[in-house]
Amino acid sequence: MFSQHSGIQRYIIRKVVSYIVVLFLSFTAVFFILRLIPGNPIRAYVYMLRSRYGFEPIGDRTIQMFEEMFGLNEDVFSQYLIFLRRLLFEFNLGPSFMAFPTPAQELIARHLPWTIILLSVTTLLSWFIGLILGVIVGWKRGTRFDNFFFTFSLIFSQVPYYIVAVILLLLFAYIFPILPSRGAYAASLTLFDINFIISAIQHAFLPALSIILVSMTGWLISTRALVITIVGEDYLQYALAKGLSNSRIFTRYILRNTLLPQTTGLAISLGFIVTGAFLVEWIFVYPGIGALFVNAIGLLDFNVIQGIIMLTMFTVLTANLIMDLIYPLIDPRVALT
Amino acid sequence: MSQKDILSHHTFRKSLTILRSASYYIVKSKKLLVGTSILSSLILIAIFEPLINGVRLGGLQSSAIGYFPRLQMPSLNHPLGTDHFGRDVFAMLITGIKNSLIVGFLVGFVAISVALVVSLFAAYKGGAIDNLLNSFTNVILILPSWAIAAAAVAYIQRLDLTLVALIIASFAWAGPARQIRSQVLSLKSRPYIDLAKMVGERDSQIIFFEILPNILPYIIVGFSYAVIGGILAETGLRLIGLGAAEIMTLGLLVHIFMTSGLIIQGYYHFIIGPVISLILIFISLNLINIGLDELFNPRLKKVTGE
Repeated sequence: MFSQHSGIQRYIIRKVVSYIVVLFLSFTAVFFILRLIPGNPIRAYVYMLRSRYGFEPIGDRTIQMFEEMFGLNEDVFSQYLIFLRRLLFEFNLGPSFMAFPTPAQELIARHLPWTIILLSVTTLLSWFIGLILGVIVGWKRGTRFDNFFFTFSLIFSQVPYYIVAVILLLLFAYIFPILPSRGAYAASLTLFDINFIISAIQHAFLPALSIILVSMTGWLISTRALVITIVGEDYLQYALAKGLSNSRIFTRYILRNTLLPQTTGLAISLGFIVTGAFLVEWIFVYPGIGALFVNAIGLLDFNVIQGIIMLTMFTVLTANLIMDLIYPLIDPRVALT
Repeated sequence: MSQKDILSHHTFRKSLTILRSASYYIVKSKKLLVGTSILSSLILIAIFEPLINGVRLGGLQSSAIGYFPRLQMPSLNHPLGTDHFGRDVFAMLITGIKNSLIVGFLVGFVAISVALVVSLFAAYKGGAIDNLLNSFTNVILILPSWAIAAAAVAYIQRLDLTLVALIIASFAWAGPARQIRSQVLSLKSRPYIDLAKMVGERDSQIIFFEILPNILPYIIVGFSYAVIGGILAETGLRLIGLGAAEIMTLGLLVHIFMTSGLIIQGYYHFIIGPVISLILIFISLNLINIGLDELFNPRLKKVTGE
């Protein structure tokens, strides 16, 4: 009993330490990769303004002042220390360029809820639909139903979200204009009431559908494979031989045993709810993190770009850590190895 | 016959067998057949692009502005019409197919070469270098590669296809590297490798003649996924308007359609070509991957029940 307990403790400590190490390594890697850009963020921004708008809005003295303000006149390593200090102790990503002097984290926080709502709903829905279809299809292997859904999924599992988004936008917002083409809610609505919610759902429908149509296929394929191995197991053959009813076998044996690994998968994919669909958001002008990132890229807003990239790594790694920590509760064997 | 002659003769025979069995498998597997025929017709279009556009446009670049009347509907002269700059959409489409495929295959080649160097030699030798490279691979796998590539492309001006492909490939090698590494690790502990060592084969011989042929399927699948990833990433970058406007790719065509008002004015036929071509590229490469997986991975074959 005691040894098992310390085994779990050691497991948790190992996972948390490796989480911190990997998080630190990846943040460091991103920091230095982004410093490889020619010039520095301020100069790149100013050159972009000059070349795009054909005038010189900012003089060299001002540029120098801004460089000092951002600590860009120091060497890369001290910049790195400044960056770490700001991030860890002030939770500050530095000011945004396009919305100066709003801090980047404030801009990100403003866009984050839209992305989290859209992607948590689509991730859960595609998981659920994919799982149910996958179980049915695996159970009814070889039927016409199976052939249709499985072949469809295999073929379309590698088609990117954004292509589906373009097709859906064209079909349901332009050729048959039944749904809105851009935004997250009708601009005339300012109060948070039932009309606002209906409008938000209408606006989210096409972006959500383009994500669900594709990511559902992955769940269907993996669930089907799981079900087929379960059907081959001895305990299931035994249950069949015992004469248990089909519905009992289906719910108690097959659904239950696919649920465990697929829940793990769901937890991991929830880590991607920030990165998941940058381009889908951009296509539908949905005011989430993805659209903010594309705007920041277009205007070379360095701190926002860097902040969003680090946020995505943070969510992915944290989701993995949470998964690792709750896994021993589901399957105690992992902690003992 | 020296040992070397025997070996090279052996490899020649082996590669002939591989070629012969490749064609056999392609005909046998419906997925491989459909996938390779779609992909090779797209490649044929790409190869004949200079010829077709040379004849149709008289030596003009398909991205050159103002050569034809603006916004023509599809006709015999312009099968897909013209855009708001008076460019022939069909000409732009086949240039786009060519350039998108070029980027994809460049990414594939660079990524799989780096992956082979990093995983094949390091994993076989083991030791500190292998550990270091393996940790490096794992860090690369965590990074949000598309977002970083987008930042790089946005900041570095004047990018051509090769540079964009190199930027994408600098992240794309990590996936195949990990796949190949695990295969090499499992292969190098097999008895036949010990046997080869006992006979006195050098490390390079073992790597090239004993291990490489056995991981060939994984290399092909890794290559094909890298091509998919490359085209996916490049199309995404061009879709949001990054990169040079005179280099046509399918992503840029979709970007033009989305942002220039063509969609609002109802010129829907403009988008059909690029979207269908992209879907065909992704589906054909995916079919090839699934076909290969089923052939070379018997466990999976059992799972999918084909």
